[in-house]
Amino acid sequence: MNLPDSRKNEEALAKLLEESHKIRGVSLWKDAWRRLRRNRPAMASLIFLIGLGLVAFLTPMLPLQSPLDKDLNNRRFLSPSFEPITMGSREGLKFADGKLTSQLALFEAEIAAETAEALAINDPLKQAEQFESIQDRIRVEHPFNQLWNQLGSVSFKMVQIRVAIFGDYAIPSIFGTDKLGRDLLARVFWGARVSLVVGLVATLVSLMIGVSYGAIAGYFGGWIDAAMMRIVDMLYSIPFIFVVIYLVTFLGEESVKAWLESYGIDQIMIFYIIIGAIYWLTMSRVVRGQVLSLRQEQFVESARTIGASPMRIVFRHLVPNVLGIVIVYLTLTIPAVMLFEAFLSFLGLGVAPPDVSWGLLLNDGVEALSSVKLFWWVVIFPGAALAMTLFALNFLGDGLRDALDPKMKNR
Amino acid sequence: MKDLLGFLIRRLGWMAITLWAVYTVSFVLMRAAPGSPFSAERAMPPAIEQQMRARYNLDAPPLQQYWDYMWGILSRGDLSWSIKLEDYSVNQVIAEGFPVSASLAIFALVFAIILGVSAGVISAVYRGTVADVAMMATAVLGIAIPNFVLASIAILLFVFLIPLFPAAGWGTLRQVALPAICLGLPVAAYIARLTRAGMLESLSREHVRTAFAKGLPKRTVIIKHVLPGALLPVVSYLGPATAGVLTGSLVLEKIFALPGMGSHFIYAATQRDTTLATGMVLTYTVLLFVMNTIVDLAYAVIDPRVELE
Amino acid sequence: MPLELRRAFLILAAIVVMVSLIWASRFDEMPPAEFSFQNGTDPKTLDPHRATGQPESRILFNIFTGLLEELPEGDPDPETGVQPMTPQPGIAESYEVSPDNMTYTFQLRDDVTWSDGVPITSADFVWSWTRMLHPETACEYNFQLFGVQNAEAYATGEVKPGDKVEVELWDRPGETIDSEPAPQTFPRGTIVHGTLKALDKPPKPNVPEDATKEEKSKATADWQSEWLYTVDLARRDGDEILWDDVTKTVTYTKNLQTPLAKEDTQRAHNVLVAFDQLGGVEAPDPTTLIVHLRDPLPYFPYLTAYYPLFPVPRHCIEEHGKPMWTRPENIVTCGPYKIGLRKLRDRVRLVKDERWYDADTVEIESIDALSIESQNTALNMYETGELDWVTDPPVTLIEELKKREDYHAAPYLSVYYYELNTKRPPLDDVRVRKALSMAINREQIVREVTKAGQQPAFALVPPGIAGYTPAQGNRGSLEEAKRLLTEAGYPGGRGFPKFTILYNTSESHRAIAEVIQQQWQNNLNIKADLQNMEWGSFLDKRQQQKYDISRAAWNADYPDPNTFLDLFLSKSPQNNTAWKNPRYDELLSQAASESDKVKRMELLREAEAIWADELPAIPIYYYVGLNIIKPNVSGLLPTPQDTHPFQTIRLEPTP
Repeated sequence: MNLPDSRKNEEALAKLLEESHKIRGVSLWKDAWRRLRRNRPAMASLIFLIGLGLVAFLTPMLPLQSPLDKDLNNRRFLSPSFEPITMGSREGLKFADGKLTSQLALFEAEIAAETAEALAINDPLKQAEQFESIQDRIRVEHPFNQLWNQLGSVSFKMVQIRVAIFGDYAIPSIFGTDKLGRDLLARVFWGARVSLVVGLVATLVSLMIGVSYGAIAGYFGGWIDAAMMRIVDMLYSIPFIFVVIYLVTFLGEESVKAWLESYGIDQIMIFYIIIGAIYWLTMSRVVRGQVLSLRQEQFVESARTIGASPMRIVFRHLVPNVLGIVIVYLTLTIPAVMLFEAFLSFLGLGVAPPDVSWGLLLNDGVEALSSVKLFWWVVIFPGAALAMTLFALNFLGDGLRDALDPKMKNR
Repeated sequence: MKDLLGFLIRRLGWMAITLWAVYTVSFVLMRAAPGSPFSAERAMPPAIEQQMRARYNLDAPPLQQYWDYMWGILSRGDLSWSIKLEDYSVNQVIAEGFPVSASLAIFALVFAIILGVSAGVISAVYRGTVADVAMMATAVLGIAIPNFVLASIAILLFVFLIPLFPAAGWGTLRQVALPAICLGLPVAAYIARLTRAGMLESLSREHVRTAFAKGLPKRTVIIKHVLPGALLPVVSYLGPATAGVLTGSLVLEKIFALPGMGSHFIYAATQRDTTLATGMVLTYTVLLFVMNTIVDLAYAVIDPRVELE
Repeated sequence: MPLELRRAFLILAAIVVMVSLIWASRFDEMPPAEFSFQNGTDPKTLDPHRATGQPESRILFNIFTGLLEELPEGDPDPETGVQPMTPQPGIAESYEVSPDNMTYTFQLRDDVTWSDGVPITSADFVWSWTRMLHPETACEYNFQLFGVQNAEAYATGEVKPGDKVEVELWDRPGETIDSEPAPQTFPRGTIVHGTLKALDKPPKPNVPEDATKEEKSKATADWQSEWLYTVDLARRDGDEILWDDVTKTVTYTKNLQTPLAKEDTQRAHNVLVAFDQLGGVEAPDPTTLIVHLRDPLPYFPYLTAYYPLFPVPRHCIEEHGKPMWTRPENIVTCGPYKIGLRKLRDRVRLVKDERWYDADTVEIESIDALSIESQNTALNMYETGELDWVTDPPVTLIEELKKREDYHAAPYLSVYYYELNTKRPPLDDVRVRKALSMAINREQIVREVTKAGQQPAFALVPPGIAGYTPAQGNRGSLEEAKRLLTEAGYPGGRGFPKFTILYNTSESHRAIAEVIQQQWQNNLNIKADLQNMEWGSFLDKRQQQKYDISRAAWNADYPDPNTFLDLFLSKSPQNNTAWKNPRYDELLSQAASESDKVKRMELLREAEAIWADELPAIPIYYYVGLNIIKPNVSGLLPTPQDTHPFQTIRLEPTP
């Protein structure tokens, strides 16, 4: 047998395998989808979650009030109300006419004037300098700086669109305001961005580690499996909260922070990546169990006979087949991570203001829960937001489990 | 009996390895983390700071410290003096805090199991009824609310609105009740869901159907044939549940001003109390490991298919 | 597994659960105390020489008594309601001051005893103060005695040839000549006295610039341990030391491996100025104590009424050692109360001490100091009647609580400020510091955030110190702030580097930092990050000057401006701002030696004016003491230092 031939054969076989695999996969997923669609609570949850994700992403574009502008003098602890509000009307902001749009127009006019002046300069060096200074001014003095914290370029554009569409209109404080006079509705929405991203990032990290670890252990079996699973058992007995507390202080260290920033890495991100690195234990167990039962299946055997490398078998053939259970488990890990974020906020180890997360909001809210006076709205709304999200994730998880359960097939 | 003994001995070996690993990790972390346990508002002269370090053997080369401290633990069970709580040794801190944490955890777990299993059984047996839906919705809610919010609301409800319990503190049965309930509720919710799922699965098994068909009373069938199978996932959940209860107690001890180990745990880590932190981590590790071992053992006993490995 | 075994196991499990439940429900029921209060965090220690915080002090003030005691005198201030406190006879029944204010002679009561019946003598004070000052005790408050002759040199360990010194030989209990130092500092090793003839030091080691704080400190300590002291030993005649009668000359060192060591060099712990032999404090007879001051401190009587100067029981400490002597079963005290029981993180139970000299005036038999950190928890317990006195009510509810009868707020001597690291640009520019200060709307902070009637601060010293008119400080205006910023090279905030506000983890500090963050952004276009840290790391950052701006606060240790101004001396261990001003230092040292009270206050005021002009820190507000006290409690009055002697509390029976 000459080599090219064998390669050709191999390729053909692999292609065939893949195709058959695909066909099998599609039918499985289709079937599951059909069953999931019949499950009303799960579908409602799915729609809710998709909506939530969309809304969270589009938050800068929504006609919300500023999440961090504190109207201490007039708006502390206002109960929910429908009183209309104008963006930028707080006196301390000193916006022209007390309006964001007016101030923005004024600012843009000034910049335009300066730009015109700069254009008139003949010396190209001086002109460049002038442009530089105008850019600097935009960066520092833009009215958006007063109402939003460090908008990224995408968010900045979104806010611009928001101002273009809605002008100075903002939804009234229907969720009330907090102890420093910030609008809770806006904070709940902006908090959703942080909380959801935290949940997703950490879960994805846990997914990657857990799936690879579990799949490798399950595929190789024998002493490798035994050793790897013993290590997991061992890790189960470690109180990780302790490690987390240390990491928080370590990452807060000035030099570490500067170092991370020089690489453009967000401190919070790193932190939640690490949390994800802690949450992979159960995932790896689950995946390992599935892979153990799969590895004797024919398609694995055939892949092995054609000489596919173990890594290829694990990641190309086995992992896709355990995806179902992994997705189910995913919907259970996200809530756990989000609750953990809240827990850290309670201990004062969460995100730093002016960033806001649901955990932070709830911590503030609990502070205002007292028998002496009840500022119920400060805890109810963020609490409801978190509870509803976790509720939905749980129902979706249940629904997915039922839908993906092979025993339920064709029912 | 022989395999049981072998199992326990092997587990003990693993525990030793785990403890050693935890000790090493916490040792490294604590020396790598910034901040010194001797920080005070007034800066100390170098000679005195060195002396303070010497008192806790922190001036020795790291490897020396590593062995010395480990040897102290192994030979004398001595975790040394707490650096920050000057008047106490770590052993004393644990001796005072452990009973509080343990009794809180016991109440919480027992409460969670009783409530969770009964709710799960009821809602499985009356599947699809209003009671089932309501109970499962409550259970999800129990999982979906952070326990510090739950505890704060519970205080408003059961201390102020309906004055059943005292607001905080430790020393009487009434004072334990509310924190134990708050601690146990999320666990109970989880157990209820597991029980219900397990029950539903068991109920559809052949031998159960046969038992019903034979006309055995419903109650007998459920207790004798359905429950044992249905409880397997619950039993295996008890390990993580213990971990959950221990973590949760960090929060509840703060809200209810309880003198347990949880508050020491956080305090030691954030204040760089090296010795106390090590002591706490090791204690928690032992607790978790023992609980996990008991759970594995129980699992093997209840499920005849499982062998002790 | 056989079926029988399985059944047995189930039964066993049931039994274990039952037993553990029964074990868990067993409590040592103890009768409730007559009076209980929120004491904040758990006290770190009951050793007066090691304690620093308020939770510790609330207990220490009531289990020990000083020479004098700060007690209410006169009527409360009609405006603020603050009850003036003055030093009144404590263990000393009277005292005399020499006309130059340099010598105090205390006459001790002759019937005072420790709680175990052992009499308290003037020698106890000499011993206690020596222990307090001893470098190895590392008492954070030792500077309070620095006004006494030789005390500062003793505490800092500075000696020079010609000084009369004490040498502690390497023979503490449990020590051998080549062993590690014993952990027990008291009881000490044998003390010999003599005159220091020479002090030889090996060349100072070169420590790399980038070494960690720990490495630097270790290098210095190692170097110091190699110093060689040559001492002319003095003959001892009974209790008296004949300094001029030299018996022999001996060389001492801490580390016998030092290259300077001679053949007959002996090992010794410390060679220190002989504080207790040189007349700073004298105990001519058991009931007389004479104190010779270095400076004519007008506030010295107040210091004797503050807990670091309280006597500690020598017999108890020498018997049990540190830290065992503070265990509830060992501790011997000398206050209106003694320790009944101490449960970690739960409570310290104080019970009336019948042996105290004024026990008749003490009404409450037992007091619980409960360790409750959470503000809401404390208030909840108060509302349900489990607590009689809340010392730290939740800020969120102040407006609500204000309306109630049991709410008591009054200013006390304490200031909240933001330290600036004046080494770091742009904060090294005084114009920037001023601009930042002027851009803070303090009125808004005290009115809308802290809400309890705090006073906006523009200088350092809080109002309310008799005889002192605080410096005005510069309020400035927003326009001026903007102008200063432009002058400093940051027009409209352009080019201003981002910086971080550091604060210790607490909701109220966070709220203030968030508001200041917004004010700077709104008023100057300057962005600040916030970072919170736990107390230990927070202190570390400040001391190593690895911060930009940090929250800080200071409570008066004695009612005198000096307690605040001292902080910013260039050599002060608490000056984390790196700010130095020679004129400021000079004014303070002039004030210290000035015996004319009016002139002294003028000098201090001048110093404060310099501070307020240079602003090494931005003052924000002067504190208010907040207490919520059950209406049936009387005698718990707001005081200038927020201290509350428990023997004056009275309880009316609740109807």
